[in-house]
Amino acid sequence: MKYLSSLIVAVLVAWAPAAAASDDSAGRVKTVNGSASIVRGQASLPAVVNEKILQGDSLRTGPDGSLGVILKDDTVLSLGPNSEVVVDQFLFAPAEGKLSLVTRMLRGTAVYFSGVIAKLSPQSVRFETPNATIGLRGTRMLVKIDEE
Amino acid sequence: MKPSRVILACGILLVFLSSCAASKKSLFVLQSDPGGKTGEIVVTTKGGSQVLARPGEATEVKDTDTPPSPPFRMEEAEIAKAFGVALAAEPAPPIRYVLRFRTGSTELVSESQNLIGRILQSIKARHSTDIRVVGHTDRVGKREGNYRLALDRALQIKDMLTSRGVDPAFIEVESHGEDNPLIPTDNEVPEPRNRRVEVTVK
Repeated sequence: MKYLSSLIVAVLVAWAPAAAASDDSAGRVKTVNGSASIVRGQASLPAVVNEKILQGDSLRTGPDGSLGVILKDDTVLSLGPNSEVVVDQFLFAPAEGKLSLVTRMLRGTAVYFSGVIAKLSPQSVRFETPNATIGLRGTRMLVKIDEE
Repeated sequence: MKPSRVILACGILLVFLSSCAASKKSLFVLQSDPGGKTGEIVVTTKGGSQVLARPGEATEVKDTDTPPSPPFRMEEAEIAKAFGVALAAEPAPPIRYVLRFRTGSTELVSESQNLIGRILQSIKARHSTDIRVVGHTDRVGKREGNYRLALDRALQIKDMLTSRGVDPAFIEVESHGEDNPLIPTDNEVPEPRNRRVEVTVK
């Protein structure tokens, strides 16, 4: 019986016309200064306000750059200069039991303020750095990773 | 090649290799959120874990094998120096409005009706082009039916916004059915606070 209801939900989800599954983005750029880009596979796009961010994107800033984004679950993330953060995993579909947010920071400075996924399922959120993994619940934090 | 040159070359190579192997120092600082609340973080390396639970607490990680340092206090001035640019780039947190509905219906309760005006003001003030409308129900009734009801509620709110001039392209509609309650309850328990649409203006 449970299988049947999951099937029905799956059909409804696929069929529901105006349920904007049209936007599968993980979030959008909100602030940009100086040199900042989104690296997606082999391509590098300049980061501009309202630009979409997809799972797998690498957010990068140059020596004079900074960048601020808001993810779909309302996680707020900003980068200072010479920084790089990758959105490794972003799944936000509570009705399908899909919740996951893994970000990986390689260098620079960042402000991170967790959103709804951390509230619904703190164990589904991870912030990774070269030497440490951060687990969090309903948190705002600052992270700095030295180049050398 | 002269032997001394070889030794020099090896020496340089060793220094180069060891500086590559030297790990990146990292720093983690807990902060309160704009609403004044502070959560918790756990920083874990191969060497151990450290919890930060008070705003302004910081821990340093030297390398992957060493446990994170015991927490120390980081002064505002130091924080501004290290993180000033990242902080200045931090987007304003999204504003969330909760509109409530009569049970089993897409009709707003009277208290929620003037929230539409406030939502419109927010959208204008922030020049927002990114508005999310998410419908929810309580756990009374079947899951599938609740998914649909929540979606209808969200679509209703979207209509109310677009009919008052908001570009539909700026609005994203979702249903979380009964799966994202404000107040967790057991199945079939009525909970008016869960019968809602949350509008987030980013």
